[in-house]
Amino acid sequence: MVSIANKGRSLWADAVLRLRRDPLAMVCFTIIALYLLMSLLCATGVIFTDYNVTDNAQAYQPPSAEHWMGTDLFGRDVMARAAHGTITSLIVGFFGAALAVAIGTILGALAGYFGGKIDDLIVWLYTTVDTIPYILLVVAFSFVMGPGLNTLCLAIGLTSWIRFCRVIRSEFMKHREREYVQGATALGAGHLRRIFIHILPNTFHLVLINFSLGFVTAIKSEVILSYLGMGVAPGTPSWGMMISDAKLELFREVWWGLAAATLFMFFLVLAFTLFNDALRDALDPKLKNR
Amino acid sequence: MWRYVARRMLYMIPILFGITLVTFLLFNVAGGDPAAQAAGRYATPERLAQIREQMGLDKPLLEQYLHMVKQLATFDFGRSWSSRQEISGLIWAGIGPSLSVTFPAFVLSLLITIPFSLLLAAKRNTAIDKGTMVTCLGLISISSVVYVLAGQYFLAYKLGWFPVSGWDPSWDGRWQYATLPILIMVSLSLGADILFFRTVFVEEMFQDYVRTARSKGLSNAKILLKHVLKNGMVPIITAVVLQIPFLITGSLLIESFFGIPGLGGLIYQAIQEADFPVIKAMVLIGAISYMVFQLISDVLYALVDPKIRLS
Amino acid sequence: MFKNIFVILATSLALAACTKKAPENDNTINYGLRTNLKALDPEQGSETSANEIIPNIFETLFEYHYLKRPVVLQPLLAEAMPTVSKDGRTYTIKIKKGIRFQDSEVFPDGKGREVKAQDFIYSWKRIADPRNKGEGWWIFDGKIEGINDWNAKLAKGGKPEEVNEAFNAPISGLQAPDDYTIVIKLAKPFYQLNNVLAMPFASVVPKEAVDKYGEEFMNHPVGTGPYKFESWIRGNKVTLVRNPNWHGGTYPNEGAPGDQEAGLLADAGKPLPFADKLVFHEIPEAQPRWLNLMKGALDFGGIPKDNFDNTITDGKLKPEMVSKGMKLWTFPSLEVVYIGFNMADPLLGKNLELRRALSLAYDGQTARKKFYNDRATIAMSPLSPDIDGYDAKFVNPWKEFNVEKAKEHLKKAGYPEGKGLPAIEYNISGSSTDRQMGEYVQQQFQKIGVQVNIISSSWPQFIERLNQKKAQMFGIAWVADYPDQGNMLQTLYSKSAAPGPNNSNYNSKEFDALFEQSEKIPPGPARIALFHKMRDQFVKDVPWIPTVHRLNDIIYQGWINNLKRHDIIRNSYKYIRVDQAKKAELKAKL
Repeated sequence: MVSIANKGRSLWADAVLRLRRDPLAMVCFTIIALYLLMSLLCATGVIFTDYNVTDNAQAYQPPSAEHWMGTDLFGRDVMARAAHGTITSLIVGFFGAALAVAIGTILGALAGYFGGKIDDLIVWLYTTVDTIPYILLVVAFSFVMGPGLNTLCLAIGLTSWIRFCRVIRSEFMKHREREYVQGATALGAGHLRRIFIHILPNTFHLVLINFSLGFVTAIKSEVILSYLGMGVAPGTPSWGMMISDAKLELFREVWWGLAAATLFMFFLVLAFTLFNDALRDALDPKLKNR
Repeated sequence: MWRYVARRMLYMIPILFGITLVTFLLFNVAGGDPAAQAAGRYATPERLAQIREQMGLDKPLLEQYLHMVKQLATFDFGRSWSSRQEISGLIWAGIGPSLSVTFPAFVLSLLITIPFSLLLAAKRNTAIDKGTMVTCLGLISISSVVYVLAGQYFLAYKLGWFPVSGWDPSWDGRWQYATLPILIMVSLSLGADILFFRTVFVEEMFQDYVRTARSKGLSNAKILLKHVLKNGMVPIITAVVLQIPFLITGSLLIESFFGIPGLGGLIYQAIQEADFPVIKAMVLIGAISYMVFQLISDVLYALVDPKIRLS
Repeated sequence: MFKNIFVILATSLALAACTKKAPENDNTINYGLRTNLKALDPEQGSETSANEIIPNIFETLFEYHYLKRPVVLQPLLAEAMPTVSKDGRTYTIKIKKGIRFQDSEVFPDGKGREVKAQDFIYSWKRIADPRNKGEGWWIFDGKIEGINDWNAKLAKGGKPEEVNEAFNAPISGLQAPDDYTIVIKLAKPFYQLNNVLAMPFASVVPKEAVDKYGEEFMNHPVGTGPYKFESWIRGNKVTLVRNPNWHGGTYPNEGAPGDQEAGLLADAGKPLPFADKLVFHEIPEAQPRWLNLMKGALDFGGIPKDNFDNTITDGKLKPEMVSKGMKLWTFPSLEVVYIGFNMADPLLGKNLELRRALSLAYDGQTARKKFYNDRATIAMSPLSPDIDGYDAKFVNPWKEFNVEKAKEHLKKAGYPEGKGLPAIEYNISGSSTDRQMGEYVQQQFQKIGVQVNIISSSWPQFIERLNQKKAQMFGIAWVADYPDQGNMLQTLYSKSAAPGPNNSNYNSKEFDALFEQSEKIPPGPARIALFHKMRDQFVKDVPWIPTVHRLNDIIYQGWINNLKRHDIIRNSYKYIRVDQAKKAELKAKL
């Protein structure tokens, strides 16, 4: 058991070392950290405090020294709106992914660990949900719960756990038979203890990878749902809203709203995707160099 | 083989049950009062009671559920709340336009991505490979809404190469309107497909048979085309088959932007108007066609790889 | 009727299959519908797109004179305007002889049957039949003798044969003493009957077609109009062709002042209709509609809000558009756009000072510029412009934009600086523009410290909230069904509270008494005086913030002649003439 724990630690230490040596991963990590910092500073009112300041005389001003990304319909600074939109995206990304990972991990763990009838039931559940077109399922959830930020997180979380469930399930199936689990059983550990204390930490790298994948999915879903009129409450800065407003604005030659939201989103999603790849390589070295 | 297919088909029954159950729970139990939404303006309480009766909402839940199953079995989903048109008629009318965008896009995208990703796999870890991979990751980091917006604005509005939107059901007119949606659809799938196919091919290149072939002195090109492509096509085809049901249901975004009277547009309109029966019918149809193609995909896979059948 | 604010806004255009080959017949009018078409049955026709098409296929007893303003009714299928009994309760209407339904397979030999008085009664029964989910019942509800009892019997339901028998039972107020005479007996005086009978709802439909097609009649319309239904490619376009058996009509010989100069009388006396074919393209997105108009694939249509600056300066079309032969036609909508307070709401309904404060805090001028490009009149009351009784000089004191004053009233309301006031829910429905308007309201009220949460939902869900009196505050528009201020003011009558048109559930004894009185007297100065008293009561109680009355700008191509759009005149296509030679010449320039 001790040796297993050590092995676990070395896997993580190893991974961190590998990540550190990967310049691309470090750049991505920095970008993500900067986004986090920016949204924190925005939320606490340190930077971009003018995101809600309207000046109707200054509507739709093109980018200038004063407004780097121009102004929107109400004369609000687009750059500040986009920066504040990060908060919405990070909230949706975090809670959406966290919910999905939580559901996926718990169900996957139960299915993989117990097998038999429980496994059959959970496999049936996720096959069913998987069969229903994703976007329609999200839309149906939003309809039932009414629009808003909470719904957005819930709908995304409740619909995107399947992938994680599958991965965790097969991982648990593998681990279930391993010596260290058998050893724990011999020492009298209960099912819950075995699942959560013994096996789960050994699949944690998968949880992490999946979380970061889920994050990207959630951020992208927010845009589509906003376009469908199921996004956050009007007035709340969000990239999805900015992009769907562009549908009207482009034909006024107002491109900066779309550009700002797209750029902000682009770097965050790209950094997340690249970092996720690096993370996977670091945690799962077999795949490296392929 | 037939036993496998039979077993696999038998397995569809509980899934089918699951699909109908989830749909029923979402729309009939949790989704508010359908009568109030169907009734529209000037709905007095008496009128609501009447509509509830017409819709069978006063019946026990089990009976309502069985009614839904019957609708599905007979492909008669009743009428839309908003237009009062027969839903099955709306669906039949929408399949053609949806397919005329999605099918060419699907074929075109495969014709581009498969050879391209094979080439990348051959040149893996070179600058071209890495550059393309980053480009692909960049492509998938942009929201699909932006592709549609930008495509319509620049290619149709600014440059005037294509009509901005519309549809002409005659065959020669159709391409005029379908071309830009097809191109946007291809560009939407490009990034993800290339990344996926490349991974598949790279995986194949590490297989023993490649080493054996190489040791026999086969040229690189020959190995790629004869072995890697052939073997790599197995996971690719099985994955690709699973995209076919989405070809039928069309793209919600693209059809709504370009005014294509397909199933995606139908869904979009139904969402805008909270037209539950239409959304419900589309959920059921989408789910079932996905299930069917999953079966086809599994059977194809089993045909190629007999080991699967035993599991 | 209520309209989603932006669905109605003028803009309307289309695309057209502009194929490379020379089109066989260019004597076609192409129009772009703003919403996807749902059904072509007049019984269901309360929808903007359907109402664009239905009056070309179906006809009513009366129609509005194409050119005269203010609008005036004239006979269409009727021989003459009705003769009315002294007590104003009995209307006798003679219908024209020899009117035939369009040729259709529903008739024994495929030839259209002659229209009889009974056909009208049958068609109106359909509107009143509770089994049909149409929205037209209100036009007869409580107005025609015996119709409510008849309706109640049908609503009870029962075996099919019983219900059919109930349907066939006579209604005492709707009689046909002979094949060409209709006698309508009213349950109470109703001076707007002629207007109601000119609405598409009251069109005559053949029983044979309804019997044969059942609910599918909406896809196989057969009427008496100048155009016949040819095809409908769902989600794409509807094509109508000239009805060779139409009973005929000629272009009017006289019009309103200025029509002569505008060339609107050039075709006086010529036989109608001019165009051979009407094509209605379904293009719900504003930009594609606009671009198709610019390319000449559509013949006329509105200007999307976001293209306005590139199109019009100082109320005139920009020179580059004029050089392409394009012309501009502007007309006011008979409507009021407003922010409604739910008077049944315990917070807003009980606190007059709060409503006053909110009304004072709303900057209508900026909204007019931002959302309507100044192509709207600031609304002071529910009375619609361009209808008798509208007073352009009237000023509503609570419509002044004055933040300081608003704050004072907020203090009087018991919420100084908005302290202690819970966030108010503002309900909206619809597009990005509707959402932006919601945000605007939010910003306006924020200035005096009132927080607003915007609840955005689909139109049916929005209506559901209104019907259940759940919407605290909402943005909506009321468009006149016919040119009468009484139709505008019923939105405030307590007996038409939700689910009726009075969505703000305003309940004022004084207003109700005035309204009921106004229903009892014929149009004229006395009635207008009552309207003004109702308006004053409205101003006193502030149940809404009226925002604007919109102007519609229609751009039309140089080859289109005789275009004179109006909200109420729905059968204008038969008057429009396409100059094909000019079209060929101008299209080359686009």
